[in-house]
Amino acid sequence: MSETTVFDDLPGDLMIWVLIISELLVFGAGLAAFLAVRITDPAGFAAAQDMLSRTGAGINTAVLVTSGALAAWALLLRKSGRRGKARITLVAAAFLGVVFMVIKSLEYASKAAHGIAWDTHPFFTFYYLLTGFHAAHVVAGVVVLLLVAWKDAPANIEAGAAFWHMVDLVWVLLFPVIYLLR
Amino acid sequence: MLSDPLLRAWLWLIGLSLGSTAVSLWHWPPKMTALAGTVILTLAWLKARIILSRYLGLAAAPFWQRGFGISLAVFCALLLGLYLIPAFA
Repeated sequence: MSETTVFDDLPGDLMIWVLIISELLVFGAGLAAFLAVRITDPAGFAAAQDMLSRTGAGINTAVLVTSGALAAWALLLRKSGRRGKARITLVAAAFLGVVFMVIKSLEYASKAAHGIAWDTHPFFTFYYLLTGFHAAHVVAGVVVLLLVAWKDAPANIEAGAAFWHMVDLVWVLLFPVIYLLR
Repeated sequence: MLSDPLLRAWLWLIGLSLGSTAVSLWHWPPKMTALAGTVILTLAWLKARIILSRYLGLAAAPFWQRGFGISLAVFCALLLGLYLIPAFA
């Protein structure tokens, strides 16, 4: 006789949820530390933040949540047997991940052109650390999306899409704290 | 077509993202920036809830949806507290 537990209610594999919670804790600690250090120099943090492009980051948010929607649709398409459309949708989601990285690279290049580095101000130490770590996850996510478009078993797509949604989830918390809170 | 929960979730996420960016770009009087920050963090919490419920499928697992929602609310409250300290110091 098999017993069901509350963990059986979680969509997808349990381990992907362990990963999602772990990542949320890591980024959450980073964001809390950012705001804690800001207490020591709110004016300096505000001046440094004014050198970021809020509009560019807002556009990148739209790009990432659209990519997340495509990944979620791909899973529904695969489960309903529309394998070709699911693959195309996953590739489109990965492409938007690349668009996110292009915009992010332009942002980093703009900072470098203004002589802004990680040690310019504590704000930028956190900025590069948190957005750079997130960008590394975006790159990994693009590779994962392309892998599951190739090896397209529904369980693979579910795990790959969940990883991508985690990247989305982290960004919607990181974006307002780093770019928007003045 | 708007009956598709995923499409509605995406539209909400786009709207809330544009909304929080607009709130940040608005030139608030100095005394009102704390209110703007509160609105921005509340919108972030709503966006996170939508991603968990619709993109990650927790809408079908109410126990976990509630757990994540409460945990994220506590976390956003912590962030809000840290954000507001300089305004009241």
